[in-house]
Amino acid sequence: MSGTATAPRTGRRRQRSTRDEVVRRDPVGLLGAQILVELRSHARSLDFVIGAIALPMLLYAMFGLPTASPSNVLPDGSHVGTMMMVSLCSYGVVSLAIFTFGEDIARDRGRGWARTMRATPLPMWSYLAAKVVLGLVGAVLIVTSTAGLAVVAGNVRLDPGEWLRLGGTLLVGVLAFSTLGFAIAYATRPRAATAIANLLFLPLAFLSGFFVPLSELPAALRDIAVWMPTHHFGQLAWRQVAPAEGVEAWAGITPASAGTHLAWVVGATLVFGAIAVLAARREGVTRRG
Amino acid sequence: MSVVELEQVAKVYGDVVAVDGVGLSVDRGEVVALLGPNGAGKSTLFELLLGLVRPTAGRARVLGVSPGGEARAQVGAMLQHAGLPDQVTVAELVRLVGRSYPATLGLDAVLERVGLAHRHRHTVSTLSGGERQRLLLALAIVGDPQLLLLDEPTAAMDLEARRRFWEHTLASVDDGTTLVFATHDLAEADAVADRVVLLHHGQVLADATPTALKRLVPGCVVTLVTDAPPEVIARWPGVERVDPAPDGGSSPPAHARLAVSATDAESVVVPLVRSGHDLSGLGVAEADLETAFVQLTRSATAGATHPTLEGT
Repeated sequence: MSGTATAPRTGRRRQRSTRDEVVRRDPVGLLGAQILVELRSHARSLDFVIGAIALPMLLYAMFGLPTASPSNVLPDGSHVGTMMMVSLCSYGVVSLAIFTFGEDIARDRGRGWARTMRATPLPMWSYLAAKVVLGLVGAVLIVTSTAGLAVVAGNVRLDPGEWLRLGGTLLVGVLAFSTLGFAIAYATRPRAATAIANLLFLPLAFLSGFFVPLSELPAALRDIAVWMPTHHFGQLAWRQVAPAEGVEAWAGITPASAGTHLAWVVGATLVFGAIAVLAARREGVTRRG
Repeated sequence: MSVVELEQVAKVYGDVVAVDGVGLSVDRGEVVALLGPNGAGKSTLFELLLGLVRPTAGRARVLGVSPGGEARAQVGAMLQHAGLPDQVTVAELVRLVGRSYPATLGLDAVLERVGLAHRHRHTVSTLSGGERQRLLLALAIVGDPQLLLLDEPTAAMDLEARRRFWEHTLASVDDGTTLVFATHDLAEADAVADRVVLLHHGQVLADATPTALKRLVPGCVVTLVTDAPPEVIARWPGVERVDPAPDGGSSPPAHARLAVSATDAESVVVPLVRSGHDLSGLGVAEADLETAFVQLTRSATAGATHPTLEGT
């Protein structure tokens, strides 16, 4: 038993010192600090910067620009390069939502950071809210970088109203599909979260027509696509830059009303959200120290 | 006022009784070590004190109120299996956690105390294991807590890292903080704690100063080098147990360096001499905390009763 080095106990204890610095508990300041930590730490991660933020722009450079000639239009006159930009932005924000919320939170659980936070008064709401803000900032960067390239080199021209509606739709997409990310984070084991996120995301993105227009895929895949909430999100995004005829020509599927597509997205948000809440509660109940 | 007060606290998970009727009172400024085998209920006690789980029965009070809630702002903790995000710097993390407390020590003061001032701009991914533990300590003390709960804080540290860790931690205790920590290292408990609470199967087996706890177990530890088979020595009257001595060094062929726990030295030495076996390297020491721990938990497993020295 001997051999353990411990510091000798010092003698008399002092009275508690005057606190050096007093910081009032300030929820806004706390949230601001948490957001800054999230943004800075992710900015230091090449995986995040390249894999999540820059990838849609890089994919557009590889697959969008070659199709972006002004003369390359759909039968209704909609510009193919513009549709491709919307597809890849949609891919980017859904990917961000699933991986930022799913993989990130699962990783924090797996490496014990979630447990460390439980040992402090840091509230869970500020942690989750900071993730949401990170997702929104990431989405803005994805859209501006991809759209910037599309405008500069891809002959994409939209009026300010179209840009605003498209940007708004894509940001709402991050919020909507963040619930799927939360569900993955809490319903799966931390080590399995990345694999499960990929397993769900890749078919979702492919079958939604984000990589390849659905009109170029077999009809059977279009039949499946209409059951994908991400496809309905894509429909909402494409509709911001092209008329229904253009979207039908691009997707190979007759668009439903905007309300129907919106209902699909909202429904998916609620279902995934419920799963996330149940899984988070179950973890709180079953977790043993 | 007691900083920690547990009255007949129990915590049951399904059919597992993690904590079973624990009573414990810790006064301001005390340093209390929780000892016990794995599964004794140490970590569950910490979770109860943090308000992360609620007792199935009994009453828990921290700083005069129920654990969690307003008490959380006065409690700093390091839990087992705690971790840190990789890409955040030391300073960012300490500032962030500090913001969640109503009052904080300054960043510089905290980092100075835990010996990480020179690493404040580095990300967690670049820290060594010992530095990460000290960063976790920084997060536990940044809110200038009145109660510090440390669950096996030095489990993965080497001797030097342990020494530095306790140096920094005791600096906080000297500032008036009450400290409750769990450890498997009995020498650590002996050196650091005012009181040792021995847990076994969720119950308090003993609650005493290290000195009083050692007195609970009569006898001594005899170290020696001999060619007598350990299993033969173990059968002699007065011998409690026979172990290989920790710092053995070299022994002649067919000889072993042993640590024999016995009621007295004579009950080992006399029969050894009479039996004609070799005997050298003789040393006799009073029963230490480890001997007390082993004997008390063995007795408890066997159903024997020992006096519990409450508040000795």
